[in-house]
Amino acid sequence: MIQLSYLDYSAVEGKSFLHRFSPQAKLAGMGLILLGITLLRTVPPLFVLYVILLLLFFLSRVPIKILPLTFYPLIFAVLFIFISRFQIHFILLVFLKVLCGSTGVVLLLATTPYPSIFSFLGKFLPSLFVVALFLTYRSVFILLDVLEETQHALYFRGGIQWRRPWRSLINLSNAFGHLIIKGIDASEKMYESMVLRGFENRIHFRGD
Amino acid sequence: MSHIHLPDGVLPVWLWIAGFIGAFLVGAILLRFFKREDFPRRLPLLGMMAAVMVLGASVEIVPIAYHVNLTVISGILLGPSLIFLATFVVNVILALFGHGGITVIGLNTLTLSLEGVLGYLLFHLFWRILKKLTLATFVATFVALFVSTVSMIGVVSLGTSHYEELMHQEEGGGVFEFKLLKEKGDLQKKEGAEKEVNLKRFIWILLPLSFLGWLLEAVITSLIVRYIHRLRPDLLRLGGKPS
Repeated sequence: MIQLSYLDYSAVEGKSFLHRFSPQAKLAGMGLILLGITLLRTVPPLFVLYVILLLLFFLSRVPIKILPLTFYPLIFAVLFIFISRFQIHFILLVFLKVLCGSTGVVLLLATTPYPSIFSFLGKFLPSLFVVALFLTYRSVFILLDVLEETQHALYFRGGIQWRRPWRSLINLSNAFGHLIIKGIDASEKMYESMVLRGFENRIHFRGD
Repeated sequence: MSHIHLPDGVLPVWLWIAGFIGAFLVGAILLRFFKREDFPRRLPLLGMMAAVMVLGASVEIVPIAYHVNLTVISGILLGPSLIFLATFVVNVILALFGHGGITVIGLNTLTLSLEGVLGYLLFHLFWRILKKLTLATFVATFVALFVSTVSMIGVVSLGTSHYEELMHQEEGGGVFEFKLLKEKGDLQKKEGAEKEVNLKRFIWILLPLSFLGWLLEAVITSLIVRYIHRLRPDLLRLGGKPS
């Protein structure tokens, strides 16, 4: 989740041809990728799609640090190997579908600022949902700052040690509890600021 | 574990479309119970709790392929109507990081919100019966996680025929397959059995791992609730003193 700031930085500061594309075009592209993932049922075309996405990833000069994020969903995909009685074709199919989907969305997020994505979603979803999406995204950054402080506090209280599992669980839970309380305090302040700035159940984007 | 970590294109189209329709209907019903005028005031809290859930989901316990959802604690703090909206938002953001497919957002919202709503209801029920905060939270979280995992398995099993179709797409798919059987009939029989979906094995592997996850998350949620009760008991909206 720490890579979130890299994604945001890459989306806003990137200057590649993919960054210059309109958000609508990129979202349409993502739609096509999804269509491909849903309809393609053999390995070779999915492999070609994955290679194209990887090429786009490198051509758009997205920081390489972000690439491991696309492999993360494979941890869970491993569970689905057991459904197939270890059929190589099915495993490759599922893994390629996972990789195409995750590379597609990470590429989208790394080349498109999130307000553009959420404002586009606002055309289909009720404004309430879009406001909730904005606030959540903003809150993730607020909580990441709190998390950094909490990590220091956790370290001074012994942190997480495998030799002392119960103490570690208590420390971890207290850290989450601290994060929640700090988050709730921050949300109250955020609401006051929003009301002061004239918030009326809708967030306006640049270009609205 | 109740989060369906399936990529796009693995579940049949009718199933994920039904997931979106179901999520829309359940959302419409649950949001009717919430006062419209309270929404703006509660939205920042919803955003913050959804962010906590997103952060929780990013802490991966690799050996058991588990991450804490923190849906029950969010359900307790937000209530049943807002937790639905929060789980939807969490699933959209997680899908944008490739954590679960975009097409399964509807189904994931249904299973995760079931966990949150059930967690909220059971927490208040057990609190009234047991009057012990930590125990009430532990049992409520454990049961809610169990039910939502079973519902997730149910969803995955609904797609069985579709997985079989996918497996039959490429005959001779087993690259490292050694065919030692001489009789053609035996060979066909064996191939047929090999290409059947083995849901039982999936469940037998998933349940013990999930059990560890339920225990872990139930303990963590209980300790979080205890911590919150010490500092901000008003957030839990409880009547009576806990032991």
